[in-house]
Amino acid sequence: MQISYKPGSGALYRLHPMVKGAIAFSAIVFFSVNTLGFSMMTAIIAFMLLCCWFSGVELSDIFMSVRRILLLLIIVGLIQGFAADGFNVAAAGAAMMRILGVFLVAGVYVTVSSQSELTFFWESCFRPLGLIGLPARELALVMVIAVRFFPVILSEIDRIRMAQIARGARLDGGGILASAAALMPLMIPTLTQAIIRAGELSLAMEARGYRVTAQRSRYQRFRFGIIDIFAVLIPVLLFALLLKPFFAGTF
Amino acid sequence: MIVFDQVSFWYNDRSETSFKLKEVSFSLEKGCVNGIIGGNGSGKSTVARLMVGLMPVNSGTVNVLGKDPYQQLSHSGFLAGIIFQNPENQIVGATVEEDLAFGLENLGLSHAEMHCRIIETAARFGLSNMLREPVANLSGGQKQLLCIASVLVMEPAWVIFDEPTSHLDPWSRLEFWKIIDEFVHHHDLGVVVVSQLAEDLNRFEKILGFSGGSLVFQGSRHEFRQAGDELHQHFNYPESWKFEQLLASQNV
Amino acid sequence: MFENLALNSLTVRYGRHVLLNNLCGSFSRGQINLVVGRAGSGKSTLLRVLAGFHKEYDGSIEADGVTFVPSGNISLAFQNPEALFFNGTVEDEVGYALKMRRMGRDEIEPIARSWLQKWGLDPEKCWHSHPLELSGGEKRRLALAACTIFMPPVVLFDEPLAGLDAKGQRALAELLAGMSSEHIVIVVTHEPEILLEQRGTLLYLHSEGCRWFKPAEFLRNSLIDRNFFPLPEWYHSAVGQFAQSSDLPPIKADEVFRYVKKRERMHADKL
Repeated sequence: MQISYKPGSGALYRLHPMVKGAIAFSAIVFFSVNTLGFSMMTAIIAFMLLCCWFSGVELSDIFMSVRRILLLLIIVGLIQGFAADGFNVAAAGAAMMRILGVFLVAGVYVTVSSQSELTFFWESCFRPLGLIGLPARELALVMVIAVRFFPVILSEIDRIRMAQIARGARLDGGGILASAAALMPLMIPTLTQAIIRAGELSLAMEARGYRVTAQRSRYQRFRFGIIDIFAVLIPVLLFALLLKPFFAGTF
Repeated sequence: MIVFDQVSFWYNDRSETSFKLKEVSFSLEKGCVNGIIGGNGSGKSTVARLMVGLMPVNSGTVNVLGKDPYQQLSHSGFLAGIIFQNPENQIVGATVEEDLAFGLENLGLSHAEMHCRIIETAARFGLSNMLREPVANLSGGQKQLLCIASVLVMEPAWVIFDEPTSHLDPWSRLEFWKIIDEFVHHHDLGVVVVSQLAEDLNRFEKILGFSGGSLVFQGSRHEFRQAGDELHQHFNYPESWKFEQLLASQNV
Repeated sequence: MFENLALNSLTVRYGRHVLLNNLCGSFSRGQINLVVGRAGSGKSTLLRVLAGFHKEYDGSIEADGVTFVPSGNISLAFQNPEALFFNGTVEDEVGYALKMRRMGRDEIEPIARSWLQKWGLDPEKCWHSHPLELSGGEKRRLALAACTIFMPPVVLFDEPLAGLDAKGQRALAELLAGMSSEHIVIVVTHEPEILLEQRGTLLYLHSEGCRWFKPAEFLRNSLIDRNFFPLPEWYHSAVGQFAQSSDLPPIKADEVFRYVKKRERMHADKL
């Protein structure tokens, strides 16, 4: 099963997309670089899952997907666990919790954010680029279209792959050069079809009044709520925790 | 009303072979199903694209409600929208709501106006409870509906369907014609359907027949049937008409 | 060459979902095997299972009584088969499947030329052209030639008639019928009308169960229940009254006319 947006109405869902993005970003950074121990991390993850549960986030798909990274978790745990003085269970557990944390945060973020919210977040992140003349809104639209066509093109690749294999293509040649050549029967048709699609899509967009130069209005609107004011504290807190060691001496 | 007056269209240089459309003149009225028929390369798709102003004509004039569709974004109302064959390749938004909003954002409407139109259109097409749904989760029939809804939400005076039925299954085809019937007879909407399918001829009330870039027939369905073999050889002839002809010839 | 491809209580799952339930029956050589059903009825699932790309199923698929091995024995021709072209010339495109079976260039050429001819393409004219330069109908023929040149015992077609005009569809239907003497031809389609004129059977997929039909049975069912399969209105009014009779004509004006006349004559004789 794939992790994807599941509409809901809990507190996590109602957050402003910027706040959601900031929390997700800060939490991912936090989990990747923090130096807290195993028990502290487990507590934080448990607290996080509790918040999700109260917001009515459907976690079953995320848990199902954890199985896929289980092997990765175990390997990382083993590598981190072997220290000079034998096997350190706490270090192994902490390392595994870190990866699990990053994975869960990303999974929950994708589950509670609709496509429009993701776009809004990207666009806001691109906006500073507007200062150096890059069109933030167009870039965001490109992202939306990429997201929109990702499953379409995937299923097309799948069909082409099946048909070419049936014709006798061997798509898994050895070595980088050999496999690049072996992929031709897959790559060229996929590319041709993508170009045809792009042509049709641009025509359809133009027919619906899209002009690159024109001033467009905006449908999506997101308001800051009271809950957002409190939620903003989360990334602030997380970054403060991360930066604490650097300032520990100054106070 | 759509009026084509001595319209010619060609790509690149003007040589005898590059003509897509040769001095075509006709007019279409609201209130009936207008059909455009013709084989591959007959010019029927070019006509459809000129109607919605996707490209400028090389000579002659195109008018929709007395205005030039090529300039349609500078007019107050949206003149004509088009729905292409493959729904997959014309949905822009990642969610249903976003796709409905796309055209409205291009028109530069206010948030309140957009919201109002989106809610109303979604209700009309039974898409209300899937506004936030990612497009990838929709079935083929729902995608087709979304394409139609996304153009109609812009409130065009005319809609042009470019080969809408050729990739639908027979069940969805019946649904499609129900929707078209409703548009024409219960809403004040001008409808043009471009089609290659012989059986679709039975649905058309007025027919434009194209062959090799020229308009070879315009008139009612009845007139088309009476027009004789010389004309019919350009087009696919419905089995139902052949059958009726056989019955008639035997009764004589 | 196989005589038939049997499905023995085939149940296909995807995760927790059952996509096809307890499918039994067989496809055979010498006829066109149609698979018809609404979107989401499991048509593409069946195709993937037969081609060996979906392995999560119970039951078995047997060719002439032995477990069917898809690899090398089956060819897939999808809707828009032209989407498969990736070679620079028609020569390479049509010969690709043989090249991958380690045949030499001089060995391939005569086979490829005769194969193009069989599919109604003139090898002299198009041998060195780029596959995408051909006309719409020619592209379709080239694609089908390229998919079948290695003589797979089973060929699967997905919507082969889509996007062709009436004449092109008829011509292709006859080609498919011709192929059926050498391959087991399975056609997944939502436009079975023209193909029903050929000898064959029809597998009707439905979420509540799947059934096999002879063409006349299928027509009869559709005449009785319009939701089962929507046939053209004129066919309904012409032969609807004969729905219970043993045979029914294909959906073609002259055949229906002959059939109706025959029925009327029989009726008159009885009186």
